[in-house]
Parts: sequence; C-alpha cells; structure tokens
Amino acid sequence: MKVKNIYKYLIIAFAAIVLGACTNTDVDQKFDQTPTERLNARKTELNDLLLSSQEGWKAVYYTDSTQLGGFTHIFKFLPDGKVDMASDFDDDTKLHRSQYEIQTGSTVSLVFTTANKIHLLSDSNNSPTASLVGKGYLGDFQFFYYGQENGEIIFRTNRNGHEVRFVKATAQDLTDLAEGETMIQNITGTPTSPLFRLVEINDGSSIEQFEFNYNPDARFGVATSLLPGSNESHNLALSFTPTGAVVKPAIKVKGQKLSNFVYDETTTNFVATGTGGVTATIKFTNTPPSLTDDYKLLLPGRASLAFGYYPGDYIEESPTNSQLFYEEFAKINAMLPAGQSISSIQLYTNHSLGNFIYYTFVGRGAIFHFVDIIEDAAGKKIILKHKSWSGNTTAPAPAFLASFDSHLVDPNGLYVKKENFKLVYSNTVYTLTSSSSPFRMSVWLL
Amino acid sequence: MKILKIYKVITVITGVLLFSACAQEDQLTESQLDYSVPVKTDLDKWLDASFLDPYNIKVYYSWNQNLVDNSRYLFPPTIDKVQPALEVVKTIWIDSYTKIGGSDFVKKIAPREFVLVGGVNRNSTGTITLGLAEGGQRVSLFQVDYLNRSSRADVTEFIHTIQHEYVHILNQTKPFDVQAWAKLTPSGYTSSWYVEEIADSRELGFITSYARLNVMEDFAETASIILTSSKAEYDAILASVTDPVGKANIKKKEAIVVQYYKDAFNIDFYALRDEAQKNTDAVIND
Repeated sequence: MKVKNIYKYLIIAFAAIVLGACTNTDVDQKFDQTPTERLNARKTELNDLLLSSQEGWKAVYYTDSTQLGGFTHIFKFLPDGKVDMASDFDDDTKLHRSQYEIQTGSTVSLVFTTANKIHLLSDSNNSPTASLVGKGYLGDFQFFYYGQENGEIIFRTNRNGHEVRFVKATAQDLTDLAEGETMIQNITGTPTSPLFRLVEINDGSSIEQFEFNYNPDARFGVATSLLPGSNESHNLALSFTPTGAVVKPAIKVKGQKLSNFVYDETTTNFVATGTGGVTATIKFTNTPPSLTDDYKLLLPGRASLAFGYYPGDYIEESPTNSQLFYEEFAKINAMLPAGQSISSIQLYTNHSLGNFIYYTFVGRGAIFHFVDIIEDAAGKKIILKHKSWSGNTTAPAPAFLASFDSHLVDPNGLYVKKENFKLVYSNTVYTLTSSSSPFRMSVWLL
Repeated sequence: MKILKIYKVITVITGVLLFSACAQEDQLTESQLDYSVPVKTDLDKWLDASFLDPYNIKVYYSWNQNLVDNSRYLFPPTIDKVQPALEVVKTIWIDSYTKIGGSDFVKKIAPREFVLVGGVNRNSTGTITLGLAEGGQRVSLFQVDYLNRSSRADVTEFIHTIQHEYVHILNQTKPFDVQAWAKLTPSGYTSSWYVEEIADSRELGFITSYARLNVMEDFAETASIILTSSKAEYDAILASVTDPVGKANIKKKEAIVVQYYKDAFNIDFYALRDEAQKNTDAVIND
C-alpha cells in the first residue's frame, strides 16, 4: 500500500473515532442506584428484617403440596450469622442452633449453611414414599428473597421455585409446636387404633363417604369417594396446629371452603365445620370402607380350602399385616418354653375333619382349634365360632394361644378379602381382618 | 504543500488531540462490593491452622450450592461434627503419609479442597455414593454427621474414600505401569460393577467390585483397601479367594502397588499401611 493511502485510511479512522465519541451512550437510569448498590441494599434489608422480630419467624413449609404435607418451622435469627431453629418434623420440637448466611448470586438469598431441623426435609436417605427415593422430602434450605407483604417475608425455594412465607412468630408458637406433635400422634394412630380412615363430607342434607388413604410420614393422603360410579377425590396435604390439622387445598362444600380441622377428643375425629350444617370429618374405623363378597368362599357347602401363614416366609412381609397382628404373634413365641416356637397358622374350611384353625410348632405337637363357620350376610363377614380344642370341648384355650386366637374367633366376625397382589409365589393372598380390633393378617391360599 | 504532507500534518494533529482527550478521567472510588472478611469462628480458626496453613487445603463445611450437585438432596454437616471428622482425616491420612513419606509429602501433593456433606448421598437407584473427587482438586466427603469414631467399620469406610481418591491424585502426579496392570485381568472389567457380588469379583482377581470399573479404579481400590485393612484382615481377604488364578492376580496387583510407591515416591507401602493402622487404632480408642 502506498504511504498516501495509509494516511488516508488513518484520517478516516480518526474521523470515525472523533465522530463516534460524540454519540451519547447515556441511557436514562431507571434506578438511581447501580445494580451492585441495589443488591447490597437488599442484602442489608433482608438481614435487618430477619433480626427485627424478637420471637423470630414462623414458616409452614410445604415442599410440594401435591404429594407432601406441611412442616412448621420457627427461626430465631441472631447476630453473627447464628440461628436458633425448631420444627415439628419429629418429636424433638426444641430450639437448636446453627448458622445462616445472606448470599448474593443471581439474587439475594437466605441460606441455612450448617445442618439443623430444616435440613431433615432434604435428606436423600430418608424419603416418605417409594417414588421419592433419593429425594428425601424435596426440601430446600436456600430461599430467594422476593420482598415483603403485610409484614410477611416472601421467599421462593432455590430448587423448584415454591413460595415460602415467613410470618412474625410469637412466644406462644414454640409451645404450640410441641402441642402440635400430639395432633400428629392422633392422626397417625397407635397399634390399637382402627386400621381404616374415612373422610365424611356433610353438605347439610346428605353425607358422602370417602376412603382416606393417608401416609403419616408424608402427611399426605388421597380421599376417594365410596359412591358407586363416582370418581371424585380430594388430595389432602396436612400441617398441624395445637388444636388439629390444616388441610391444603381446602375442601369445597356448597361454596364453602373447609380447611381447619379440629380434633375431638371423645370421638378421636378431626372435624372442619362450616355454616348451615356443612362439615368435613376425618375418622378412624374398623370396618373396611369397601366390602367384598370374598367371605362366601369359606361358607359351609363350599369346596374345601386351606389357607396358611408362615413366619420367615414372604407372607410375613405382606403390607396388609397389621402391627397388632405382629404383636400378638410375637406374644405366642414369648410365652412358649425355650426351644419351642410357632411355625405356621393355617385355616381349613369344609375339610373332612370339619372347619379348624391349625397351629403348628417347632419343638411341640400341632394344635387344632375346631370351629363352626357362620355367615353374617348383612355385615359381609364370617364368624368363626368355637367348638373344641383338638376335640376336647371343655378344655380352655392353651394360655400361649388365647390372646392371638381371640382375634380370629372374634364374635363380631372377620372380614375376608382376596388381594390383587402376589407375594413372590403364585399362591393367591387373602387377608383376614377382625371387625372389632385392628388385627389383620394375610394368608396364602394353599 | 504536497497532498501527502497535508495528510501527515492532519494525522499528527488529530492523533495528538485524540490521545490527549483522555488525560482527564474520573478517579475510581472505593469498591461497592463487600469484600470484608467474615467473622471467623473457633472452628474456622482450627481449620486454617490444621489444613489451610500447613497443607494449603481449604475445607468447606458451610453450604455453598456451587460446590455440590444441586439436583441431589444433600445437606451441610452439623457444626459439632466437622472437627471430629476432620481429626480422623488428619490422623489417619495426613499423619501416616507425613511419617512415612516425609514432612513435605502431603504439602506437595494433595487435593486443594475438601467439601463436607452431612447426609448420605443416596441415588434414586438406591445405591449410595460415598465420596467424589473432581480432577484431583476437590474431594467431597459424605455422611459426616453419621461418622461414629469408635466404630472401626465407620472410620474405615470414611477414610477409605480419602485413601482411594488420594491414590488417584498420586497416579496423576506419577503414572503407574498401566500396561502391565491391564494384562493381568483384562476380561473382568465392567461398567455394571455394582450388580456384582464382592466375593465373585475377588475370585476373578479384583479386590472389590468397584475395582472392576477400569484399570485406574482397580489400582486405587487395591491400594486403598490394603491401606485401610490390617495385615490380618488383608490376609483373610486373600484366604477367602478359592480360585488360584484370581488369588495370584490380586497378589500381582499388590506387588505393582508396592513397587509403584517405592519407585515413584520412595515409600515403603507396608510401613505406610502399618502406620495407617496404628493411627486408626488411636482414633477408635481415643
């Protein structure tokens, strides 16, 4: 290139720079502070806010209300990044100390940086349902700050963007947390509580029943209508208060929203009351919500059948065996002399020898409990009526069997249900359920 | 004036004007970023004195989402559990290598970051991840909250993660004889190692099932299992192998490990094992 041309280009370049320099790149500022200043201000604002409440903050944290209930937490923030925390996740509702930070990333967030109660919801090794294996309770402990509304702090969780609100706590909230534990116990039940749960919705003129399939670990259940042909169902995510439970979403009855269930000590029911006779009730019952005609197979005149339960085999792990059944079974072994144990419980119907419960043992001879089988057509159940112990009509029940056996010969009867699952082997599984106690055992059709 | 001269003059003048135009600048004011040092707790000071200052290892115990897989449901350790767990690391891993390899050994070769996680890292398939090492720089240790220092099984499992990852780091510093190793049990490697029974893997000449993932893991597992077992425990493992070829291959791998430590770092591997065992006993009986 000629020298002349080089100068030409240089002049053009300089001219472009000079002209370009005069372009005004200043944009009208939307904010009078820079983004950094605003983030810093937000950080200070949040920290001051957290420290401002004397009794701390309360949050009912629903990690995912489509499959899990709510867990109530109380946070008391202290200077130097310390926080005292309590929750109703388990029966330890006392305050524990750990650390927190206000972190800046894409936005300002509150992070509970060392382990405390809230982290129990984020433990990959403790999941309330099979579908959540490896995911714990889907909990989070990094909350993005979204501002304030009516004195509440609004956060969104880091992983899945769920809203969590911090409400100013009172001194009473901490005591309430401990009392809420009693309510959790009330709805979870004990080994002697009835096995089935119902939701009854009264719209003021009629009552509709729903089978309530509740998972106490998840604090969540689905209520399915028992009306023939109806496929109405309600998802109920529960959180607990000193007086009962709060249900999310609210049950809508005749335009009313019912969400506050109050525990009734005398009936052990949880009742939500609206106006005009509208109520919703969560109750326990010993009667299976849906009854079958499966009991008819065992009635006199039918084919001879044999059923059996074998400890140590897969039938022992059937989810249909109840806690009371296991306890009664363990009692038999506890009362037997050393070296002896029970090896099977069988039921023979319409056998050439009659109808009998047949107990076999390791280390001693088998025992026959002869019975008559009586139909309760109205209750859709059978009654096993005592005849004799191994042919002796006057002999009392052997002491080690008396308690267990009393559930099978329950004068109020037994429900019989053919299950639709198998336990490894091809044998059909049947479940016998006492109608007056939470005794329920599964047997194989032999 | 010639046109070229005119151009020259114009260029010089505008050049001078342009460059002098920037002479006046607003001076920088103080940074708006908050770079104040956070208040150090006693634990932070202990970590600095025990790991950062002597070995240039930064220990992260408080939660930082950038250091952990955010799709996992993990949580940070409980504060009270941090120091006891790290004392185990210091005593069994650092002190053993320091005694046998020399006082500068760990200072020169070490992961630069430890990330502590309180809980169990359970995968949705039901398996558990015990530790992770990324590029030899960062080692993540799980289950810090559940470490029971008086349980030999707990301590061994916990320290096995570090011993295993540290062998990888040593391998990255000085390679071992991969060719010779690969010839021993070439057909036993499998990506579905986790469905294999450990006893079956040993019959095939692998110290654990995880060793069957590839040659590098095989070496790290062989070395770390020997380091976390007493001589009697290791002999019992060998004695349990009935297949003579499998047993011979485990022994050949052991010999390569021993030779590697001797040639690459002038370390008597068995002395290192004995020191680690002595320190393990000290931790458990503490």
